[in-house]
Amino acid sequence: MSETLLEVRNLTRTFDMSKPWLNRVLERDGKRFLRAVDRVSFTIRKGETFALVGESGSGKSTIAKMVVGLLPSSSGEILFDGAPIGTGEGAAMRAMRSRFQMIFQSPFASLNPRWKVRDIVAEPIIAFDMVQNRQAQAARVAELLELVGLSASDGSKYPHEFSGGQRQRIAIARALSSNPEFIVCDEPTSALDVSVQAQILNLMRDLQDELGLTYLFISHDLSVVRHMANRIGVLYLGALVENAQARGLFEDPQHPYTQMLLDAVPDVDMTDREREEVIGEIPNPISPPDGCVFHPRCVKAFDRCRVEAPAMVATQYGEAKCFAAENVRKAGS
Amino acid sequence: MTDHPLLSVKNLTVQFPSRGAMLTAVDDVSFDLARGEVLGLVGESGAGKSMTGAAIIGLIEAPGRITGGSISLEGKRIDNLSSAEMRQVRGRRIGMVFQDPLTSLNPLFTIAEQLVETIRVHLPMSAREARERAIGLLNEVGIPAASQRIDDYPHQFSGGMRQRVVIALALAAEPELVIADEPTTALDVSVQAQIIDVLKKLCSERNASVILITHDMGVIAETADRVAVMYAGRLAEIGPVRSVIKDALHPYTKGLMGSIPSLTSTDDRLVQIPGSMPRLNNIPEGCAFNPRCDQVFARCTKARPELMHSGNREVSCWLYDDAASEATA
Repeated sequence: MSETLLEVRNLTRTFDMSKPWLNRVLERDGKRFLRAVDRVSFTIRKGETFALVGESGSGKSTIAKMVVGLLPSSSGEILFDGAPIGTGEGAAMRAMRSRFQMIFQSPFASLNPRWKVRDIVAEPIIAFDMVQNRQAQAARVAELLELVGLSASDGSKYPHEFSGGQRQRIAIARALSSNPEFIVCDEPTSALDVSVQAQILNLMRDLQDELGLTYLFISHDLSVVRHMANRIGVLYLGALVENAQARGLFEDPQHPYTQMLLDAVPDVDMTDREREEVIGEIPNPISPPDGCVFHPRCVKAFDRCRVEAPAMVATQYGEAKCFAAENVRKAGS
Repeated sequence: MTDHPLLSVKNLTVQFPSRGAMLTAVDDVSFDLARGEVLGLVGESGAGKSMTGAAIIGLIEAPGRITGGSISLEGKRIDNLSSAEMRQVRGRRIGMVFQDPLTSLNPLFTIAEQLVETIRVHLPMSAREARERAIGLLNEVGIPAASQRIDDYPHQFSGGMRQRVVIALALAAEPELVIADEPTTALDVSVQAQIIDVLKKLCSERNASVILITHDMGVIAETADRVAVMYAGRLAEIGPVRSVIKDALHPYTKGLMGSIPSLTSTDDRLVQIPGSMPRLNNIPEGCAFNPRCDQVFARCTKARPELMHSGNREVSCWLYDDAASEATA
């Protein structure tokens, strides 16, 4: 449990949102950048599930894409088992690529409708030269389909013959086919109905126990995250505002944004817990507020928050980027 | 007038012809809605919840049509009105909020033009009065600086603000009933909480009834007085929201509630209903849920259970047949 599998250091990604050159000259406008991911650092230990939660535009999917190398980073480092991702090419990179995989949000978009299921699942096996002959390949595909709760005969069907939940099982089988240690799951259940979501979440946990997988789990749904994760990072406007052990984060959130998110989750158990009202909306990420980016919506904001950006401080269960949490810490010690 | 419920849906059936067969999207659905009441209509994709809403406001698209049952607003049938008569009801007496605020607002007209038009179609007002009223509505739904922003176009608003505008539009003619179809599904969770609050507050101030259609039990728990659970076009269970959530009767509702991950539970595994909802061309005989039910017995595969009373609610499940006959005896 203690060994680090993935380490992300000061990961940043900016997108150029400038108008075309001629417009900039004519309108005397400068270049404009959107910082989608802002100096994000976290580590994931072997065998655990680390979740990133945030609302639309918080940068969670951008981080997922950078971690698997689908998108280059602007700066910062991603170390997988000690070696940097995304820079190298060739044999070493290929060997490393087979050790991590990704599951996408929509199983309607992530499976090629013209391919049979057995070809979809076999693609990583072939790409990484993992079997000797076609017989071994067929046997491996059958084994994978049964592992995710489908039957071996489903391999000869096309994706459209399956429901959403079954398609997500196919996507999981494909992700598992190269024997990865680490899987990035980008909103794997948000396109599914809740009873199907339960099946997929249970399956993912069973597979984790069985195969010793490590997950980076991306979601906007706090109750799903609560169910799946050991540790949780909360993103706001591209930056981590809190990163803590899951149970602690839910019982005693340190950052006011985490508290706001928790309060906004509908109370499906009807516990009548007390909750604060949500204030305001996410600001425009091209021109974020000065100081702490959350201060215009924060109930605890004071003068310092408006001018100075807080740094991460250690909290009881992890770390949080908030002056109020810092003061609590000082008062407590 | 007062002895009629505001809305009464009786044995509503909606069918679509398809390759020679008739597909039944809504199958013998009955419920009443009292004045000022919020009824949640919950179910998974394909359960027929949106189709039920569309039938009530007369927006079933051909070739689908209502093939049985009746819908009455204050005791008067509205399911057999001509399209001209229905236009007098839709917008005026029944307001609508849809899932995606971008598709329910016209991108080519300002918010002012759309609100003023809606108000003047239904209420005898001058353009100036209508504009005043529109600004008042926008203030009520919580749009800051409403008197300036009213002349903006929909794209100049954020998703949450747009949905507020749609709520203002739905309430523009003071309808007695608002049908909200997945009003918060396209929104982030923090924005969702704000929109639910606005919708709840404005409808209760006006004593308007609401039918809230959603797949999200959490939204129902926050908003509804009663909840109707749909499965494969049929009502599985209907009753007070707290009873249904805390103590579900129908095996489907039980499974559905157990499959929702919660912020407070620490259970390791979620309850899992095997299989998935049947397709409309392949609905099993007897109870539609019987192949997935863990308490199935012989009768379930042969005869279809009607809604029967059990305590403070109605449930369509043979398990409660005895209880119902005892209660009436």
